[in-house]
Amino acid sequence: MKRRDFLKTTATGAAVLGAPRLARAQGKTGTARVWGEPGPYGGVGVDAMNEWAQKNAPGLKFAIETLSWTDVYPKLMTDLAAGRPAACISVESPIAFQLMAEGLLEPVDDLVDRIGRTRLISGAKWEYWGAWKGKQYVIPAHHQSHLLVVRTDLLRDAGVTKSPAEWNWNDLLAAAKAIKAKTRQFGLCIALGRTIATDYYVISLLHSAGGRMFDAANKSQVVFDSPAAVETFEFIAELVPTMPPGAVGYTFLDVVDSMAKGQSGMVFYWGRVFGRAAEVDPNVFKTMEAYQHAAHPKTGKRLNWNDFQGWAIPKDNNPYVAEVKQALVHLMTSRDWQIRYAQSLVPNVSPVFQDVAQDPRLTQHPFFQTKRRTIFEYYVEALKHASNSGNELLQGISPLAGIVHGRAIIAQGIQQVVIDKKSPAEAVKWVHAQLEAVRREHIRLVV
Amino acid sequence: MAIRRTTRKRLRAGLVYATLVAVTALTCFPLAWAALTSIRPNEEMLKTGLIPEHVTAAHYRALLAGRSMYFEAGGAYRPSTAPAQHFLAWFANSVVVSVATTVLSVGVSTLAAYSLTRFRFPGQSLVPYVSLLGYMVPSIIYVFPLFLLIVPLGLADRLPSLVLGYVSITLPFCMWLMWAFLKSVPIEVEEAGLIDGASRFQVFRLIVLPLALPGIIATSIFSFIVAWNDYLIARIFINTITQLPLTVGVMHFFEGVHVDWGLMMAAAVLMTLPLAVLFMFVQRHLIVGFGAGAVKG
Amino acid sequence: MIGRHAGLSDRQLGVLFLLPFVAVACAFIIYPAAESVRLAFYSKLPFRPALTFAGLDNFRYIFEDPVFWAAARQAVLWTAASIVLQTLFGVAIALLLNEAVRGINVFRGLLLFPYMVPTVVIALIWRWMFNPEMGVVNASLKGAGLIQRDIYWLSDPAWAMASTIMLNVWKFTPFVVICVLARLQAIPLELAEAAQVDGAGAWPRFLHITLPQLKAVLVVVIVFRTVWTFNKFEEIYLLTRGGPGTSTFNLAVYAFEQATANLKLGAAAATGVVMLAFLFAGSVLYLRLLRQEEA
Repeated sequence: MKRRDFLKTTATGAAVLGAPRLARAQGKTGTARVWGEPGPYGGVGVDAMNEWAQKNAPGLKFAIETLSWTDVYPKLMTDLAAGRPAACISVESPIAFQLMAEGLLEPVDDLVDRIGRTRLISGAKWEYWGAWKGKQYVIPAHHQSHLLVVRTDLLRDAGVTKSPAEWNWNDLLAAAKAIKAKTRQFGLCIALGRTIATDYYVISLLHSAGGRMFDAANKSQVVFDSPAAVETFEFIAELVPTMPPGAVGYTFLDVVDSMAKGQSGMVFYWGRVFGRAAEVDPNVFKTMEAYQHAAHPKTGKRLNWNDFQGWAIPKDNNPYVAEVKQALVHLMTSRDWQIRYAQSLVPNVSPVFQDVAQDPRLTQHPFFQTKRRTIFEYYVEALKHASNSGNELLQGISPLAGIVHGRAIIAQGIQQVVIDKKSPAEAVKWVHAQLEAVRREHIRLVV
Repeated sequence: MAIRRTTRKRLRAGLVYATLVAVTALTCFPLAWAALTSIRPNEEMLKTGLIPEHVTAAHYRALLAGRSMYFEAGGAYRPSTAPAQHFLAWFANSVVVSVATTVLSVGVSTLAAYSLTRFRFPGQSLVPYVSLLGYMVPSIIYVFPLFLLIVPLGLADRLPSLVLGYVSITLPFCMWLMWAFLKSVPIEVEEAGLIDGASRFQVFRLIVLPLALPGIIATSIFSFIVAWNDYLIARIFINTITQLPLTVGVMHFFEGVHVDWGLMMAAAVLMTLPLAVLFMFVQRHLIVGFGAGAVKG
Repeated sequence: MIGRHAGLSDRQLGVLFLLPFVAVACAFIIYPAAESVRLAFYSKLPFRPALTFAGLDNFRYIFEDPVFWAAARQAVLWTAASIVLQTLFGVAIALLLNEAVRGINVFRGLLLFPYMVPTVVIALIWRWMFNPEMGVVNASLKGAGLIQRDIYWLSDPAWAMASTIMLNVWKFTPFVVICVLARLQAIPLELAEAAQVDGAGAWPRFLHITLPQLKAVLVVVIVFRTVWTFNKFEEIYLLTRGGPGTSTFNLAVYAFEQATANLKLGAAAATGVVMLAFLFAGSVLYLRLLRQEEA
């Protein structure tokens, strides 16, 4: 989609595929559990599924189980180990890749054409959400990237004149320092706690610097220990003095609060930070804008972490596979539900279909009046710079080689630098050794 | 001489009072601060004056009626999942589970303790000590295998699974406490009753139970606190948001986009209230009852 | 005797009464704990059914992991500091509450109540009060001129440890108070009065008369509290999640993280076995002390 087209949000989107013929389910009743992450959109999806159930499977109910970000792995572990998976999981691609590689998910190739193979927004591919060995396992729900969010007033007060759209890492660092020095606010805030949030931040920077965790060409060997990784760690260490001192313990929410309450001049964050700021402090909200990340000075890459959140169906011990598939088709082919879904958290939940992105009703949200440029950055531009650990998998890494998502190994490496004052090179070596240990554990399964 | 003694006595009492007031103020401050925060309007959240300038019941209302955790605008569709709406359900779950745990632990442990102190069979003297040992096993060790056991029983994600989990925590200690109590109830009274032609059940009901009452109260309080306070077991065993007990439910307020401190403190106050009421009634027995053994927290 | 009515001998009835207890204990305590010990010698990935024998690999893994040793050290520090403070405060407050002044029951109630407060509630309150930017603690300290800059209570390793210890001391000091108070109330008044007549001062009186009377109960309380504090999970997890970094990990949090974040059930179980060894040592000590006292 062109920027101009998007900004106009013409109503001439691709025609929605006609109402699909929904096969009647075999009268299965009970409660189909659906796992979602914190956010209103999972609930919207489940409401749509229930609309389908009311008509087509009386007696069947879909129920959302909201898992906090720290709960995803405990729940996967306990519930899958105990053989009681949810009927459907809303999951981000790195976890989806791991699950499908373990053979735990139901292929959904039969749904792709019914939902509309060609409907995807340009710049996106079905496999971003989760495909493995030629089969599709995940239905795209939305995409969400963290971007560079800045307070334009603080940048001005700090005397930064160059537009963030033009920045490289050095400009970012200089701006963070200037804000810290010349305003009473912190320069940059990102989460450096022992959580997945930190892994997200670091991995996207690592990928921009040209580093990788694993080598696709060579049996998924660990290649983390590299000049790019050391440079990434050094860069973060340089940024730390401009951050709130509490950042070493921060996770997602703290970063949101730091921006919304006007304590930090810049954050790396997903779209939900805008809603929060609008609620807490309209003055802060007014001056916030999102940009693609600063480019790495040498590679020129400005990668973000895009979650590529989708719907996946656990295969084993799941009595509702057929019903979930039907209900998903209903959710994905109903323009109304797609718009409600995207509207539920603007601009966090970026629509995945071209026709939805161009539906004029999408723009009814008031953010489209004041933050249209920012929304465009999240919805469209971000896709060009999307990365995540799933991104390495797309290049041929076996998820079994060491999906390290959720383990916060990289976060622990960063913390060694920030808290224990280890040298970045040492910390990188430590992370490398941890990744290698994970790989070794799974090596039997890597083909 | 007499005057000097009275003065000294008064001085001493004054000193005792002053120290008591200081220590009590320090101890109670966190709870008082939580209560004050819970009636503080959001606009005043950043002020640290002891007494809020305005008082609001908005946080409590939000707990009961639900308050969106996300920015809503433009007639956006509102899904049926705002966590605060479930507060009453969580509260009810906590009550049900705690009462059931208490009844079960006290019943089973009293029977067992009675058996151990009134009948003779091999291994009898060993059981209480082994039992106490069981109480020292950290729950982190058996919570995962226990969950794997709960699932085939069809109890996963249901309140009875919590009762089983909590009873496995309380039982060893309840049994130890009841054993210590019943041991001290003189057996002669019962024997007299039996000779008078009462049945064992009558003796148990009319003679033993009243005498063991302080012990039963202590074990009840203990079981109730364990069940009301648990977080770990409920976090592992329960997924459905309406089935959660208060502890895990309230931690959901930390998710989403921001931490709603007013809501959080209102929840903290309401969660503590039942224990405060319970405590007022049983405070006297607490010292007698727990004095007999020592209690884990 | 009841056998006459129910057709059961006393011995049978005794066993019958004991049966529910034994059944529940075996199924829901002994079995899961034994299962956990077994798991310590196996390698198990939670997503896969396979259970492969791993010998001592899990133990080797945790013993080679610096975080395990850090967690063990921190557990010892957190336990020792908590116990020392709880005991000191506990005895002092119990002595205060043993004073026969008017209204003492109100003070007693207020000072013992924290013991009843759910850990989740305390953790929430702590996170709110000790919030560096918005919390009342930093604001008061600054207001009183005691500090110039905000203290990052939960994101500075040393302060985070101090915060978790404070939480633990706040919640569990009442437990020490309850036990000591129960004992104090049983000390014959004549003892103290006799000493007062002898002209002994308050401190020597406490040292030579009261303390020896408290020795037995203190030993029991300290042993119990040490084992339980060492095993605590929620107090730390809910406040700091073991952070910042791994600076407030204890072994229970380490085990939980191994199982849930690292998906290493075997390593978690092995950690549990190490904790059990500690508990066993504590119990032996306890039983020995108990026997000494009975003798």
